[in-house]
Amino acid sequence: MAKPIVGIFGLTGCAGDQLVILNCEDELLDLAGALDIRSFHMAMSDNDEDCDLDIALVEGSVVQPEEVEMLERIRSRARLLIAIGTCAVWGGVQAMKNEEQREKLKRQVYGPKGKDFGIIPSQPLSSFVRVDYAISGCPIEKDQFLQAALSLIHGDLPVLPDYAVCTECKMRENSCLLLERGELCLGPITVAGCNARCPAYGQPCIGCRGPVEEANVASEVNLLREKGFTLVDIQNRLRTFGGQSEVMQVAPTERGR
Amino acid sequence: MKMVKLQKKNLNAFLAGLEKFGDLHGPVRRDTNDFAFQKVDAPEQIAHDCLRTILPPKKYFTKPVDTMFTFSEAEGYRAPDKDLHTKIILFGVHPCDIHGIKILDLVFGGQYRDEYYFARRRNAIVVGLDCMPDEYCFCRSTGTDFTEDGFDLFLSDIGSSYLVRVGTSLGDDIVLETSTLFQEIGDTDRRAYKRRSAQRINSFEVEIHLEDLPEIMDLEYESRIWQELGDKCLSCGTCSMVCPTCYCYDVVDQLNLDAKSGSRLRRWDSCLFKDYALVAGGHNFRADRGSRIKNRYFHKQRGFVAQFGRPSCVGCGRCIVSCPAAISLVDVLTKLRSRGNE
Repeated sequence: MAKPIVGIFGLTGCAGDQLVILNCEDELLDLAGALDIRSFHMAMSDNDEDCDLDIALVEGSVVQPEEVEMLERIRSRARLLIAIGTCAVWGGVQAMKNEEQREKLKRQVYGPKGKDFGIIPSQPLSSFVRVDYAISGCPIEKDQFLQAALSLIHGDLPVLPDYAVCTECKMRENSCLLLERGELCLGPITVAGCNARCPAYGQPCIGCRGPVEEANVASEVNLLREKGFTLVDIQNRLRTFGGQSEVMQVAPTERGR
Repeated sequence: MKMVKLQKKNLNAFLAGLEKFGDLHGPVRRDTNDFAFQKVDAPEQIAHDCLRTILPPKKYFTKPVDTMFTFSEAEGYRAPDKDLHTKIILFGVHPCDIHGIKILDLVFGGQYRDEYYFARRRNAIVVGLDCMPDEYCFCRSTGTDFTEDGFDLFLSDIGSSYLVRVGTSLGDDIVLETSTLFQEIGDTDRRAYKRRSAQRINSFEVEIHLEDLPEIMDLEYESRIWQELGDKCLSCGTCSMVCPTCYCYDVVDQLNLDAKSGSRLRRWDSCLFKDYALVAGGHNFRADRGSRIKNRYFHKQRGFVAQFGRPSCVGCGRCIVSCPAAISLVDVLTKLRSRGNE
């Protein structure tokens, strides 16, 4: 079987997901040997900008008109497009304040130099192109990425979790931070795959991996309010990582309460 | 059944003397109110005041994530052998959890006997321990507050001693091995046991009626209760993970870096997960949460009764204590029964 031709790209984000790939130190040589990586700006020179790709891995969210074009170009070259990281999958932390006026923000941050470029509200890749698989995480989990890559190399579809952080948290027998300590934990609505790392260290889940499929946000909000959290606290937490996702847009009419 | 007496002050000496039978495991305190069964280096680490561990003992026999076999071109299929054959002593298992194990024995010992389960089961010595119910225990209602089998030894608190019931010949071997620590039971012990037993029976705060529940459930199959529960349920899977009798698993292959060799894993699954009843072609038999939670209740309280003559609920209260959305099985069953008669 011919090696899959791969391109790894970054839009707007911290480049942490590409860094996770490079941090696969023990596995990197095997991985690079099993893939024909033609484009990976962060790690190599002489990138091929035109070849057809079997797999495009794209990190980061779309925040500039130019990035829409870049993404569409990548999509047109690739058989499979895989969003990697919470920015690419959900819009990321930069989508937190999407309702704020872009021009105003640009003036505040860049001053007169802001005139040289355009910006749009931060959006996930799926707002613009078809995304075949989404590996979320801030950053992505190394093992999950490797398993997904190996599945594709083998010709299988990657298996990604469809269940919440609570499942893995219970498997580890962590004390429940939500019930035992009354903390604002997003474990019940956040997609698993991290092996409940934060709760295992006594820190509540902040939802960095984005919402689980069919997340019951309304029930989560209800139970957090019953624990005494304000809607503003809850909404701030929900929107930190999942800001752009529809499910996280809880009852905006209630915001003033 | 053979019964002997073990003074409480000799318990740790007894447990320490079990070394030759296997690694000692028992409930250890994780947090103020949280306990977990785990391997202990010394009997002193065991928390004797543990009423319920986060996960039930099923985790020893069907692990959360378990390797079924490894595969490679060179070596073919290879079964894992190491942890299937580790001998353990599981101390401090309460009656509800022993019943949980007995139910899993039925399920995994059915038409397709599960050798992974039974290899570990054979290597585990179960030392039961009685308990006093709290406000979440309803094992008296499920008929699992007492057990006559499913243990090698069972310890009941009778004051300054334990009354020890010997359930198997292996249990007897253990007693004989440490015989200097045991005594004959006398009249005072008999009286103490009966007193304690009566006190325990009277301590239950929760009672549900299961006798005609399957019929009640059939009558309430279309009840709006299920949709209300679906609105509340987070599908987080917690209740399935902590349930002593939930046994569903998903099977996945994990590849090594050559993308040719790897291992086949099975991982605890839950009927509350969105993809649980998803089939090829994209149809989902239980696409909405309400139908999934209904399925869970029907399986435990209706389907299992039809198949095995008893519900697969042992009244341990874990699902109630651990549900983030505060869904209570006791409330649900009470509501089902009273619906229409409010």
